[in-house]
Amino acid sequence: MSPVPSPSSVSSVLKRHLIFVSGKGGVGKTSVSQAIAHSLSIQGQRTLWVAFDDPLRPPGELRKLSPTLHYLNCEATIAFEEYSAMKIGAATLTRIFLQNKLVRYLAKATPGMHELFVLGKVWFERLNYDHVVVDMPSTGYGLAMFQSTKNFTRLFRGGPIHKDAEAMLETFANPTQTGFLIIAIPEEMPLQESLELNGFMLELFPKNPAAFLVNRRFPHSTESATPENSPESWENPIPTSAEDYVHKRVILEEYNLRLWRNAKIPIEEVAFILPTPQNQMIEGIASELKTRGHV
Amino acid sequence: MKTSSIDAILQKRRIIITCGTGGVGKTTLSAALALRAACLGKNAAVITIDPAKRLATSLGLGELGDQPLDLTPQLRRAHLKLKKQGLDISTECKGTLAALMPDTRRTFEAFIHSLNPSPAVTDQILRNPIFQIFAREFSGSNEYMALERLYALNLQKRFDCIILDTPPSRNTLAFLDAPKLLTRFFEERLIRWLVLPTNKIVSMGMKKALGVLEKLTGSGFMTHLFDFASALFEVQVAFSSNLKKITELLESEEVGFLVVSAPISGAAPEISHFIESIENHGFHFDGVALNRTLGYLRKGRTDKRKKPNQLAFQILDALQDREAEVTRQLQGVVPAYFTTLPELARDVHSIEDLIHVATAFDSINR
Repeated sequence: MSPVPSPSSVSSVLKRHLIFVSGKGGVGKTSVSQAIAHSLSIQGQRTLWVAFDDPLRPPGELRKLSPTLHYLNCEATIAFEEYSAMKIGAATLTRIFLQNKLVRYLAKATPGMHELFVLGKVWFERLNYDHVVVDMPSTGYGLAMFQSTKNFTRLFRGGPIHKDAEAMLETFANPTQTGFLIIAIPEEMPLQESLELNGFMLELFPKNPAAFLVNRRFPHSTESATPENSPESWENPIPTSAEDYVHKRVILEEYNLRLWRNAKIPIEEVAFILPTPQNQMIEGIASELKTRGHV
Repeated sequence: MKTSSIDAILQKRRIIITCGTGGVGKTTLSAALALRAACLGKNAAVITIDPAKRLATSLGLGELGDQPLDLTPQLRRAHLKLKKQGLDISTECKGTLAALMPDTRRTFEAFIHSLNPSPAVTDQILRNPIFQIFAREFSGSNEYMALERLYALNLQKRFDCIILDTPPSRNTLAFLDAPKLLTRFFEERLIRWLVLPTNKIVSMGMKKALGVLEKLTGSGFMTHLFDFASALFEVQVAFSSNLKKITELLESEEVGFLVVSAPISGAAPEISHFIESIENHGFHFDGVALNRTLGYLRKGRTDKRKKPNQLAFQILDALQDREAEVTRQLQGVVPAYFTTLPELARDVHSIEDLIHVATAFDSINR
């Protein structure tokens, strides 16, 4: 067995052309990816921030957030139509193709198709920007996007889809072009899931290790964890007072982070940003990223 | 009609399905709910999808827990111990508790087997490369298999209370849409096209469209697809009747839905969306559990005392303010049962911990 490659640093990943931000649901992928896109764009880099199927925005919407920052709500059906039009060329034939009931059905129902086309859309869009920052779906679904692409290259031969899928994989595997950032919060499940995700990603892209970032780190204090007051020793999991909660939370975070320490993952972090209105929070995270030298 | 307590819901329904987004503690809450039912005298089971390692261990679910595992002896021991320590709980725990974690990949294969008696067709499906993507990655197959499992377990009549912990879904009830997604692939009219692509009645338009598709996907893909579709066509009747039975169960009075959320901004519209979805499907919405709340820690605050780590208390204050706001919004939109459950100081390690959580239903913030 080959040794597990050391993780990339957050700052090196955030310099890359294509940045995929992934992790368990609820760890703040959307806010952090937006803050990264914001940070890159205010440095004057033309940046695209991509979300997949955001139900609060119109599907396929491309919106200008600032002179250097765009937002794309990537949606599979639209991506499929654009791709088909590009590959078929002739407008009449494209129309016949896209209006065909069977084709529409297959584009929707064939397993892996959705994933392949939305990822393809991101891959094509990279040509128009200095940076593309992608807010990936949570762990399993996000991983399935890359796996589907790989499966298509493995299972089917010839044809433009196969060729493009191979070129996509080459870009994703290349650490000079693509970076993977795995976000967690200092809780057991997200930290654990980030390690599992990293394992799967390394199987797909062994030469392009991800960087890890702990989001929402609670303020540390002088009364930190000691081996004697480990969470294992607390009788009731429900805290009894605000003081008890704060005290235990500090200890618990330290305790949970052992999962990463044991896996030799450097603890790069973003502090807990007060739950303020969304735009202030994004700026808060962006300023954290800057202060800590991540971007 | 407003239901006043979690126990009234547990008495009313045989099955409770918990749903919500990721990271809200749905799995722990579901296990605690089953435990509470057991303490009410029910034969309770929790079907869980992806528990944290410690929770899995405390439920006796190691690597695999595909069959219901009886936890009653552990529960009774833990109950007795906490009772002796003076915890305010029922004198006795009369029911039973079991947990299981379906192995979705194995279930999917078992499911195909169950649909079709012909070994040739089963083999044709299982060997097909498209099935391999389908079984592993199709978003919806996990959810659908959980429903299959629920249906089968319910038929056995071994349990009179089943809690189904569903996979997290972000904005839509992907889990409720799963049957629909699968139906798409099994939709008879369209599968017919796939199975009979060279049929004489195929129009010029269809021929052209299929020609383009073949060019785009290259050789191999279409062949596998036709092969997969024709094999699925063989099991289509069995699948549709299964789906119908599951849908009937979900729509019946036996099943209630509990939405689980956390007190974050945007929770109220998200919950409204879930409720709407449940009702649009014709299912029974029973209430909302707001988990991981901190508001109850405001009681007996010692504001004057000088504390170290001031910043941490500032964050706690801000979180409590946000929670109060979310709770206020929710009380306006939730027409049914509403409860809050505490944020834990650490993860659940044992059945005893689960008893603590189960006891917190309807008791904090009172």
